[in-house]
Amino acid sequence: MAVTDNEVKNKVESTQKAPQDTQNAKPELPNTKEGRLVKELLEKAPYAEGSVRREKRIEFRVPAERIHEFLEIASEKFEMLMQISVVDWLKEGEFELVYQLWSVSESVHAFVKTRISRENAKMPTVMDIWPVAETYEREAHEFFGIIFEGNPRLGPFILEPREYEKHPLRKDFNTLSYVKTIYGEDFDRYDESKTNYVI
Amino acid sequence: MGGDFISYELKEFKLFEPLFRWARKKSIWLVAFCTGCGGIEMPPLVTARYDIERFGMMPNPAPRMADLFLITGYVTPKTLKRIIITYELMPDPKYILAHGSCPINGGVYWDSYNVVKQLDKYIPIDVAIAGCMPRPEAVMDGIREIMRKIENGEADGWRRYRENYEWYRKNQDELFGEGWRERDAKRWLAWL
Repeated sequence: MAVTDNEVKNKVESTQKAPQDTQNAKPELPNTKEGRLVKELLEKAPYAEGSVRREKRIEFRVPAERIHEFLEIASEKFEMLMQISVVDWLKEGEFELVYQLWSVSESVHAFVKTRISRENAKMPTVMDIWPVAETYEREAHEFFGIIFEGNPRLGPFILEPREYEKHPLRKDFNTLSYVKTIYGEDFDRYDESKTNYVI
Repeated sequence: MGGDFISYELKEFKLFEPLFRWARKKSIWLVAFCTGCGGIEMPPLVTARYDIERFGMMPNPAPRMADLFLITGYVTPKTLKRIIITYELMPDPKYILAHGSCPINGGVYWDSYNVVKQLDKYIPIDVAIAGCMPRPEAVMDGIREIMRKIENGEADGWRRYRENYEWYRKNQDELFGEGWRERDAKRWLAWL
């Protein structure tokens, strides 16, 4: 779908207008293929928030309990699940899961973000929508300890078994003390408070 | 040391030892086993610009025919298992050349949970090249160093490994847990 000159102008106008009119209201979606895609999806799923980040990038925020429902609707346009990445927000006590979707027909990259609590983190699996999700969920399970209900192969995956129990990409995992117990005391360059250079 | 292997220290061989050393120095075959980021430094070494084949070096697909093991970068515990098994498959005499600062002390991965900090504890290293990554010139210098050591008979990592096998084995078992050979290595190589 080619973007004509008119549409580009519209996009510029709408982005300039939005902050002037109302500060608190949601910014208007631009009249591009990305904007129309977001609008179309939000009509089907009004509980989500959507925005256009830039050309070929769109973003959604979805409450965790409705993520499966939303992704099922989104999978009509987005044929590919590219990655499930996890961000650990330690102070807020939350994991942010980012489902990265790619639309082959529209060539648009979508981020679907959702937040869950760090304690007893549980999510429904999306293997029934995209079978490839199995691998990504196993990885997220191993590194962060999120349990994806319905995925049959959760368990030790890439790491050594002793690391699997600790979930090393969590922000409260102390790498330095772990390194000292596994590889020996005499290899660190800073002291425990990371202020003095030792070697 | 049992009597069931051929010793290179036999009296009959002593006379030809300088000849053997010279021949070994001039025909180093590499194991094609690239770990970490240094694998990408191999193409300039073997292609026309730095052409290591003029020293008689050649990348070689089988560990059974190889002399030199290039550790090209950081080593994770999972890779180290494969490295140890591959190293033990190689026939004596065998040499190890370690690239970069990661095999020496962890390098930039000094506090990573998944990088082996001092490779010398697990397998014997003959020559280590510092740098992150060393340029091909530095690697060439390391190669010249190992050729010099082979000619002088100083490159004795394989002998150290055999003599101090208990110590190396203890360090390996501490890292991987007892019985890792039976648990993991048997799955890759059934005859071990």
